[in-house]
Amino acid sequence: MSSIHLISRVIERDVKILFSDTFLIGIMFANFCIDLFVTAATFGNLIGSSYFLRIAPGSNLITAMVAAFQSGRDIWREKYIKDLASYLLTLPVSRRVFALSRITGGVARSVVATFPGTLVISYLYGILFSPRLVEAFVIVAVFSLGIVGLSIAVSAFASTIEVFATVRSAIQLYLSFLSTIFYDVSLFPAIVQPIVQTNPMTWAMQAFRELQSQGSTLYPISILVGPSVAFAMLGALCYLWYTRL
Amino acid sequence: MSSSTIQVTDSSELSAQTTSRLVLQMARRDIATLFRTPWIIISRSLAFIIQLFVFAYLISGLVISYPDYFRYYAVGAVVSTVASISFIIGYDIFEEAEEGLLDYLLTLPIPRREFIIGRALGGAVRAMIYTIPMFVIVAVLENFANPLSLIGAVLDLFLIAFGVTGLSITVAVSVRSANRFDVVLALLELAVTRASTALYPLNFLPAYVKVFAPFSPVTFAADSARAALTGLGLDVLGLVGLLAFVAIFLGLGATFYFRRLEGGVYA
Repeated sequence: MSSIHLISRVIERDVKILFSDTFLIGIMFANFCIDLFVTAATFGNLIGSSYFLRIAPGSNLITAMVAAFQSGRDIWREKYIKDLASYLLTLPVSRRVFALSRITGGVARSVVATFPGTLVISYLYGILFSPRLVEAFVIVAVFSLGIVGLSIAVSAFASTIEVFATVRSAIQLYLSFLSTIFYDVSLFPAIVQPIVQTNPMTWAMQAFRELQSQGSTLYPISILVGPSVAFAMLGALCYLWYTRL
Repeated sequence: MSSSTIQVTDSSELSAQTTSRLVLQMARRDIATLFRTPWIIISRSLAFIIQLFVFAYLISGLVISYPDYFRYYAVGAVVSTVASISFIIGYDIFEEAEEGLLDYLLTLPIPRREFIIGRALGGAVRAMIYTIPMFVIVAVLENFANPLSLIGAVLDLFLIAFGVTGLSITVAVSVRSANRFDVVLALLELAVTRASTALYPLNFLPAYVKVFAPFSPVTFAADSARAALTGLGLDVLGLVGLLAFVAIFLGLGATFYFRRLEGGVYA
């Protein structure tokens, strides 16, 4: 079996795990709806209607983050609960290829899980029937790449589910509140601004906002690629480390 | 006759003592787990501090339609935090079930009623231990100094913690898939805290949320705590609502927990 075929089989397995429970996808969409139609809509009422559109993509990116973290959780469960890790490592695929396939599978899952949300945001931004819709999915995929990497890195070190959940919450906090989802970078104290400017969420949001203003997404996406690839590599390295144990 | 009456009284007193001792024993076990993982307290506290001093501070500068939104948000953040932390007991129980520890715990010589009440109490006390320092920060920041008001607000926090613990136990023992459980609990946590007046004033909620937000247990707790702290008095409706919430979910949690005893597979 060729490497490419093996990679596609691993990705297929991960996506199938997601679809083994369609209820889960429904719940994630419900999560997105609460974020968008409760939180964002309320802040729209409190601050102004244009503010709703400004923060709307944040709801979808937060859903992408939740979906991406499910991949790390699955890997954690394979190791600690289902005792599947040893079996998976006996498959006729090199560990490096296997690790990269798991990350790609996580990205695919995240894009699938946020598919309806991305369409809703694209509708709100008036690009649903435009070729720019593809860019919206690219933004979600690149953003998810980094988060999947982070979640896999956490799963390699978390010994209990509480630890995993707590670290996940801390990362969610960093991505949500120390980014430009809700406010402009200039509002932050000068000392925090570098943290905000290196946050992948900041650049994913910036890319989505360019879609709304009919600007080019090339610059924000090219910056987003940096932390995303770095986190993905970190995830792959941690996965390889943990498979050695 | 007389001796028989005395005997019955003694027996019921003894039974009451044993019951409360067993409940406390179960609660102590859950509280002890908190201190075995102190870094969780640190990370949760950090979350609250970022939420309050970064998010609330910056967003209240943008909100001009509601005066002193920071104060409103600060009290609500404590209530929503205690609600969120109370959900953690569900993770504990689900993990125990997955690992087979729950089956062992159920073989202990503790009646099931005491078991469930003890666990809910332990979860609630644990959430309070987490939240009290955050509550103190808000009290100092906003000059809430009246002892009676503070006691009233703490009571509200405890009741919401107790009720949410029951709700979390209900979910933990009724959802059998780990993936589903994780996402359902996250969704429930989000729904319970966001579709309430804890963080957003009722008038600014979208119309479709405004309809049911007044009936959310988190709304009861947040409105009651705000009324106590800002000197508006006792929110009787909020307290009654909270008590009803505690009774319903403690009862439901117990019922589902008992059903779990009949066996089942955690996938």
